[in-house]
Amino acid sequence: MFGYIGKILRVNLTTGEIKTEELKEEDAKNFIGGRGLATKILLEEIDPKIDPFSPENKLIFATGPLTGTTAPTGGRYMVVTKSPLTGFIASSNSGGFFGPELKAAGYDFLIIEGKADHPVYISIKDDDVEIKDASHLWGKRVSETTDKLLEEFGDKKARVACIGPAGEKLVRFASIMNDKHRAAGRSGVGAVMGSKNLKAVVVRGTKKVEVADKEKFMSVVKEKIKKIKENPITGGGLPNYGTAVLVNIINENGLYPTNNFQTGVFPYAYEQSGEALAAKYLVRNQACFACPIGCGRVTYHPAVGVTEGPEYESIWAFGADCGINDLASIVIANHLCDELGLDTISTGTTIAAAMELYEKGIIKQEELGDAPPLRFGNTETLHYYIEKIAKREGFGDKLAEGSYRLAESYGHPEYSMSVKKQELPAYDPRGAEGHGINYATSNRGGCHVRGYMISPEILGVPVKLDPHDVSEEKAKWVKIFQDLTAVIDSAGLCLFTSFALGAEDYADLLNAATGFDFTADEWLKAGERVWNIERIFNLKAGLIPEKDDTLPKRFLEEPMPEGPNKGHVVRLHELLPKYYKARGWDEKGYPTEEKLKELGLDKYY
Amino acid sequence: MVKVKVFATLRNIVGKNELEIQADTVGELLEKLYSKYPEMKKELEKGVIILVNGKNIEHLEKLDTKLKDGDVVSIFPPVGGG
Repeated sequence: MFGYIGKILRVNLTTGEIKTEELKEEDAKNFIGGRGLATKILLEEIDPKIDPFSPENKLIFATGPLTGTTAPTGGRYMVVTKSPLTGFIASSNSGGFFGPELKAAGYDFLIIEGKADHPVYISIKDDDVEIKDASHLWGKRVSETTDKLLEEFGDKKARVACIGPAGEKLVRFASIMNDKHRAAGRSGVGAVMGSKNLKAVVVRGTKKVEVADKEKFMSVVKEKIKKIKENPITGGGLPNYGTAVLVNIINENGLYPTNNFQTGVFPYAYEQSGEALAAKYLVRNQACFACPIGCGRVTYHPAVGVTEGPEYESIWAFGADCGINDLASIVIANHLCDELGLDTISTGTTIAAAMELYEKGIIKQEELGDAPPLRFGNTETLHYYIEKIAKREGFGDKLAEGSYRLAESYGHPEYSMSVKKQELPAYDPRGAEGHGINYATSNRGGCHVRGYMISPEILGVPVKLDPHDVSEEKAKWVKIFQDLTAVIDSAGLCLFTSFALGAEDYADLLNAATGFDFTADEWLKAGERVWNIERIFNLKAGLIPEKDDTLPKRFLEEPMPEGPNKGHVVRLHELLPKYYKARGWDEKGYPTEEKLKELGLDKYY
Repeated sequence: MVKVKVFATLRNIVGKNELEIQADTVGELLEKLYSKYPEMKKELEKGVIILVNGKNIEHLEKLDTKLKDGDVVSIFPPVGGG
């Protein structure tokens, strides 16, 4: 096989058994790799109804056919498992250098099964794979864990993916961190790792990924890099200002969620913008493996030293969503989450929900004791509770369950800004209704990167769609964005390439690497297959479309109080049936037999 | 007068974050800006996002969108992230 190594590494932490298996070409053709193929494996190997923290759950590190190649941004990998936050499929994407290293060691996938009886880590040096004791690392933060492991491993070129204290304590939104600051952040994949007593995976590889047609691949890569460099977003805005270049434009458009999504306009947005970050704390840009964009921010603040980020989502989660305007506090909060192994979006949004519950008198100070009051705008509160969440101490134990379980425990789930129990990111859907449908239907719950409708609805890329149009056309675009994203995630590329590249470009890269020779439509069809197999996993896990494909009541019933979107709600009831139709599902949201047969998925559901 | 807010690379060109200009339409406003800041025209060759009171002119009357006293116009070079 080309593009792929053709090998799966399987490690059972209960029995200590380590073995390799062949990757089937037919599976690669149908599900591409990464997110898609890992979901297929998970669906076949576990009962979707199991407890995510049980040893029966599996944790899959998955690369794609372009991971580790010279394809622009070919450094991504995914972690796929059953999520302890949503109870549905989790697939978290990360960059940095860990994914390519795993592939260089000779594996497309690492499947982790069972549960160790004491803290361990997995050490991979090409064919030499061992399960080693990690008792001395348990409780340690991410950077210390990484440094210690690199020293023990004896090769500074090795790469580490690990959990922090939050993953050990089964915080439902704990992340897996690689290369210290890159996060497979969402859906609690770090907590699943913690539940297996697995602190880290260290990997070093010396093999090369072979592509089908070397010359063709080189010329295709060159052409796509040129497109990315010449594009004003991937060649200008992102390298110059990082992802936080979005703060101002999303706020000016009136959908920058503020105070737990109570409004969409934050008067202090400029103070936490990409422009401000560049002026105040930026040391230099940082690129992941094979990336010509380099949106990563290496930053410095005296309180934390040299760090990375914060990204747009993290700035917002600790900034406007918690009513905080002080950028320094946000930089520190972001650094804390990287060190403790916490997803920044869910951490910020859960604290924001607690702040609203507190200000509405539902959470009382007596319950918090001497701990700081949960008031919007209080930076001390922010840092205090981040630490407490990671350790599950005091009220942090309740917050560690996520905003939905927190709000529900007080009888007020409506104050959790989440979908399928996963916290929503930095765009109020009352200002972009197609994006709202994407939130409601995302297979991993509240998420912006399953089908980034902000791109056409707000940024005008690749087409300019009216954010308040709820036609069939809009529903079709949501489907196309979701399917194309599934292709990009499964291929091992970064979603940001899609500001400059289209389906044809991805087909060029994938064909030259794998030799499969599919049309762009056929690759998109594979993306649709990925979307549908995720849906099948969720349905088998207990998803009820009528109840779960929805948005917090706030977006459906409370009109936006001010700004350019004043008076708007999300017309979910109008757009959702059109979306189901565009997907070829029945009116209740279940894939039809006809659709499943067309995709070759009928044996699964 | 119309309040104009500029962002990202445009701030370096204009040398400030906000300015006031008299114009009846977005097209006229852009012409005035471009003649005063020729570099701005070059910077926006590959695309531009213009909001009038937070609403994208693509979904209003585009360059013919009328302006009145006190309107706020926000101008961005193409940006993205996520």
